[in-house]
Amino acid sequence: MSSESSKKRKPKVIRSDGAPAEGKRTRSDTEQEGKYYSEEAEVDLRDPGRDYELYKYTCQELQRLMAEIQDLKSRGGKDAAVEIEDRRIQSCVHFMTLKKLNRLAHIRLKKGRDQTHEAKQKVDAYHLQLQNLLYEVMHLQKEITKCLEFKSKHEEIDLVSLEEFYKEAPPDISKAEVTMGDPHQQTLARLDWELEQRKRLAEKYRECLSNKEKILKEIEVKKEYLSSLQPRLNSIMQASLPVQEYLFMPFDQAHKQYETARHLPPPLYVLFVQATAYGQACDKMLSVAIEGSVDEAKALFKPPEDSQDDESDSDAEEEQTTKRRRPTLGVQLDDKRKEMLKRHPLSVLLDLKCKDDSVLHLTFYYLMNLNIMTVKARVTTATELITPISAGDLLSPDSVLSCLYPGDHGKKTPNPANQYQFDKVGILTLRDYVLDLGHPYLWVQKLGGLHFPKEQPQHTVITDHSLSASHMETTMKLLKTRVQSRLALHKQFASLAKLQAAVVLNPGYSSIPPIFQLCLNWKGEKTNNNDDNIRAMESEVNVCYKELCGPRPGHQLLTNQLQRLCVLLDVYLETESHDDSVEGPKEFPQEKMCLRLFRGPSRIKPFKYNHPQGFFSHR
Amino acid sequence: MERAAQQAVPLGQMEVFQALQRLHMTIFSQSVSPCGKFLAAGNNYGQIAIFSLSAALSSEAKEESKKPMVTFQAHDGPVYSMVSTDRHLLSAGDGEVKAWLWAEILKKGCKELWRRQPPYRTSLEVPEINALLLVPKENLLILAGGDCQLHAMDLETGTFMWALRGHTDYIHCLALRERSPEVLSGGEDGAVRLWDLRTAKEVQTIEVYKHEVRAHPTLCPPFFLPGHLRCLHLLLCSPPSQECSRPHNGRWIGCLATDSDWMVCGGGPALTLWHLRSSTPTTVFPMRAPQKHVTFYQDLILSAGQGRCVNQWQLSGELKAQVPGSSPGLLSLSLNQQPAAPECKVLTAAGNSCRVDVFTNLGYRAFSLSF
Repeated sequence: MSSESSKKRKPKVIRSDGAPAEGKRTRSDTEQEGKYYSEEAEVDLRDPGRDYELYKYTCQELQRLMAEIQDLKSRGGKDAAVEIEDRRIQSCVHFMTLKKLNRLAHIRLKKGRDQTHEAKQKVDAYHLQLQNLLYEVMHLQKEITKCLEFKSKHEEIDLVSLEEFYKEAPPDISKAEVTMGDPHQQTLARLDWELEQRKRLAEKYRECLSNKEKILKEIEVKKEYLSSLQPRLNSIMQASLPVQEYLFMPFDQAHKQYETARHLPPPLYVLFVQATAYGQACDKMLSVAIEGSVDEAKALFKPPEDSQDDESDSDAEEEQTTKRRRPTLGVQLDDKRKEMLKRHPLSVLLDLKCKDDSVLHLTFYYLMNLNIMTVKARVTTATELITPISAGDLLSPDSVLSCLYPGDHGKKTPNPANQYQFDKVGILTLRDYVLDLGHPYLWVQKLGGLHFPKEQPQHTVITDHSLSASHMETTMKLLKTRVQSRLALHKQFASLAKLQAAVVLNPGYSSIPPIFQLCLNWKGEKTNNNDDNIRAMESEVNVCYKELCGPRPGHQLLTNQLQRLCVLLDVYLETESHDDSVEGPKEFPQEKMCLRLFRGPSRIKPFKYNHPQGFFSHR
Repeated sequence: MERAAQQAVPLGQMEVFQALQRLHMTIFSQSVSPCGKFLAAGNNYGQIAIFSLSAALSSEAKEESKKPMVTFQAHDGPVYSMVSTDRHLLSAGDGEVKAWLWAEILKKGCKELWRRQPPYRTSLEVPEINALLLVPKENLLILAGGDCQLHAMDLETGTFMWALRGHTDYIHCLALRERSPEVLSGGEDGAVRLWDLRTAKEVQTIEVYKHEVRAHPTLCPPFFLPGHLRCLHLLLCSPPSQECSRPHNGRWIGCLATDSDWMVCGGGPALTLWHLRSSTPTTVFPMRAPQKHVTFYQDLILSAGQGRCVNQWQLSGELKAQVPGSSPGLLSLSLNQQPAAPECKVLTAAGNSCRVDVFTNLGYRAFSLSF
């Protein structure tokens, strides 16, 4: 192949005759332009048809030569090689011709393309220009139409009619002589006049606005003044309260109470009215108040439409909840029970003050579904009571009011109808709930005017003021005595709990008196060995027994001795000197009248009771 | 208590009553006769019993010697205080002071010589007389008690000369400060007041419960130092302080004793030794029970009160001895220092029982006389 390639190279060199070195074409391009062989120029000169013919001829020749070479090669022979060589050279020449023709064809093609391209470009340019012009035309047309369509704002304004215009407008605006003829000027004039009018109106408007502002401010000031008046009035009311109290005319308080009282259920209302009346008329120590939430009481009496709306909502909610969880039967029953035993949100509070400053607090509740009233009691004393174990229950709220009237324990419900209601929800008796709800004593029902005949159940029970009034006074007195007696008993228990007495009884009792030996467990153990007063108490009881014998045959000696012992113990405890370094009230406040607390070198307390005078002195 | 059951013989009512009485008897006061051989004791029933000390102390003493020679009803109320002059026995109790002749009593003739009642202000309740004090130089008898005043009675004429007022609550005890002469009185109001006898005015008031002792009780200054220097010594020593007042007992002053420079007082507050000139407490005796009687004896302080024992204290505050007696509480101590009967030199103690304990030697109780 190397021989062929070198041959190929050669024709290139041969072809470029006249050019010194083809490789240096680019360099010598510019200086040897004239001498340079340009095929492009040649293409213009030659005829393409003839070139085509030449091409065909060359191809034929080549085919012929190839066939001859083939022959020769197949025959073989010596001079075949020369022939072949000859023919080979000819075919090479033909190849070169073909190449040239190919090049020329390419060049022609290229030229043709270039020309087409140019022409196309020109056409494109014109086309573009045409487009631009068309676009501009269209734009201008649009503008024209727009201008033609333009409506001046002045046509929207409702100008005053021409006659009016000429009537009202001042002549320097209307300029009748000019405007009559010229519609343009007329319109201008009218517009001027419009402007003038509008300016004036704008002025007026501003003035009115400022006026309005002023007036608004005045209104504000006056409003503030009024609103500040309200709290001042309130404070005057408040300030008058002490005066009211001073003059014992608590109008304000009473007024408020009456307001709240309107929301009480009927039995509580009866109780409230009767108790206030009684308190004002007879007993200054009684005070009545209403506790509880008035809003809840009002909520019990909501109008039906609201509840219907709620119903639909709650139905929807209920459906949802039932899908999630069904409440158990027991919980439902429990809810029903709670519903049955529901109390009215308001309650009446009665405070009974006794002479020794202890107070009995009674809170009366009304059970709505059962239609009975219950009471809860609490005793507070002026000094703190230290409760000994034995006296624990005396003042407990559960039992302090029991049996105020004989047989009235307050454990059962007094309303016979309740039994049927209880059966429905499985409550056996009210006793289980009494601690929580309060005791339904019979006297409580009577104070509230609720009258339950014992024999037959009734559906409705009327509340009766006269019933309440008749019972009020006796019940109050009973309550007071109950409290006082309980307190006194409490004190007795307290003092006695500390004392232990050992008694020796001789078989010859009452002629031979019993002998007491005392031991007091209070602030340390005190016996006759270490406390002279205990010794004195013993001696009071043991030695002075002759005074205690009582009527013949004197069998009451022991009880009298015990009684005297109690009295002595009271005296002892009350007159015990108060330790000033310890804070707090005295444990046993002094109630007995004693002339002197200590006497003699032994500092004995006054244990001798002087009968009609009622004071204690020393022997 | 078991005494009644122990008797084999069934008792009649009178014996029962007497037994009960004796069970609940309290002896408030004692007094030694001028000859020193007899002791008078007054109890809460108003009786005075005379015991013969010489008989009880002698070697042939029998059980009966310990019983009273004579007992008589002297007053309606308790006999709170007794004192003997050289011929008389003066006893006081419920508002009156009565005089008895010793010579008469010893012959068992029990008739009062005279009785006097000081002028009291109030008449609602007759105040008791808790303390009697003899001022031999001026022949005065000073009485003090329930009406919060000190009355002075001239023993010759029997008139009441003046009354000293100042205490706010009744007076328990009196003591005589010979040197000045001043009377000290202690009362229920917690104050010890000093009164000048000549001017009949209050000189000083010491409210015991307000004070505290600065000096350390064990740092005892030497005895040979004179009084004021001793006090100074005590004061200058470093002080952990002890309070005199004991609020749980009260503030009453039950007993007083003085030897002109020093005073010891006790009762509700702790038993304290005071230096009178500077009015400062110097020693607190650590005795928890309130003391009802205190006295100086030689270089000791004897005290007795709630509790069985007679306590003997050093001046420095140390307890030298505690000698138990037979009564659960003691109210009165009596030292028989009469020069005429040195063999009867005994200490007698009486209180919450019917017995009088006799101590021949301060170390132990010899025997008891009983009502």
